[in-house]
Amino acid sequence: MKLHEKILTHYLSCTSPVDKEGYLYKKKERNATYQRRWFVLKANLLFYQDRPADRHLLGVIVLEGCAVRHSEPDGQFAFSLVFEGPGLKTYRFAAGDGQTQESWVKALLSASHCYLSLLVRDLGRQYEEAKQQQGSGESRPSSSVSALKQSTPNFLFPVQGPTAVVRVGRSFSAGTVLQAPSIPTKVVAKKSPKLWPRRNAHVTPLNGPAPLYGEWPLVDFDPLEDFSKLHDYYGQEVKKAREEWLRSRRAEEEHSDGDLIDLG
Amino acid sequence: MRFNEKELVSLSRQPSEMAAELGMRGPKKGDVVKKRLVKLVVNFLFYFRIDEEEPIGALLLEQCRVEREDSQSFSITFLDEAERKYLFECDSEEQRRQWVDSIMKASYEFMRKNLIFYRTEIHRLTGKDPLEQYGISDETRFQVNNGLRLMPRDTSSL
Repeated sequence: MKLHEKILTHYLSCTSPVDKEGYLYKKKERNATYQRRWFVLKANLLFYQDRPADRHLLGVIVLEGCAVRHSEPDGQFAFSLVFEGPGLKTYRFAAGDGQTQESWVKALLSASHCYLSLLVRDLGRQYEEAKQQQGSGESRPSSSVSALKQSTPNFLFPVQGPTAVVRVGRSFSAGTVLQAPSIPTKVVAKKSPKLWPRRNAHVTPLNGPAPLYGEWPLVDFDPLEDFSKLHDYYGQEVKKAREEWLRSRRAEEEHSDGDLIDLG
Repeated sequence: MRFNEKELVSLSRQPSEMAAELGMRGPKKGDVVKKRLVKLVVNFLFYFRIDEEEPIGALLLEQCRVEREDSQSFSITFLDEAERKYLFECDSEEQRRQWVDSIMKASYEFMRKNLIFYRTEIHRLTGKDPLEQYGISDETRFQVNNGLRLMPRDTSSL
């Protein structure tokens, strides 16, 4: 498949801001050594090159359908991007210190298009409710459909956009403060069918088993309706994972000796 | 430039609301209209030969201009270069409208702008930052005034 690279490099170099950049160690697949690379994160694209000033880009990783995991077994300050599906890769990285590691993990967790899409929808709802409350002076959350039907300038209503039915795995939560608000912000009224299309149009026929995308985690709510709940759900998982990791790190520090990263 | 091809191909197989057989013409002189299965997934436009499983190509829908060409067709121009203009022929005016609308709204940058708008407005109306509850209010990508500016790079050698 051809990826039109010039479009990507043009996007990278245009004046819209970069989301994060810095040195990381990337593990080579074959011989499990780490190579230091300069990474640039922009939107849902992770570019890498030898040095910041280099014009030549070594590669890009499209960040959709992957989970971000701490992977201490790989080494100190290590984390990985795990693409879920048959035959799909895991990219392994290591940072120079714990702060850099956390910072990158957090940035990558919120990098996917899917994540942004849900976040925008959620905020769109909150915005409509806030406007409604402002207008009527009510203090309780509005559940009226009319709030949604209120006309807004065209460009501010992304809800009609294409459904990115991509499985995001664990890439939703930000890892630290993940308490959802106690007052649910979801709108009770049923959405019109147009806003939440469920039918799957035109799936390319496959011979092999299709990956289980489009399947949300087994929770008892509709994740598209209550982003904060989904966020919280993943947040709990990540919290647990972090706690375990912190525990094992402490244990490790008592036994650590020498470099855990082979820079040879 | 290396890229995660398998993963991208896998992404192209997502069920998509916007997937249809359209006439598609490439940007080069001499390119003719060919029937393709065109599919919009996140901010990528994939295009397949009819009944093939793997896409021929993937177009990133950022920094591009989508416009109506005539009642039933639209174009996407990349890099601000007329030489990189792709033409798409739809079956109806309604279909053309839907595609133009969807492509525009699929752009990450478009979504980001909306997010920043909502964030600012919600804060103005309620005094609260809606991103705080998710613990992402410090993330660079959601900043209202993003101070990080990447100097324009000379990519002519790429």
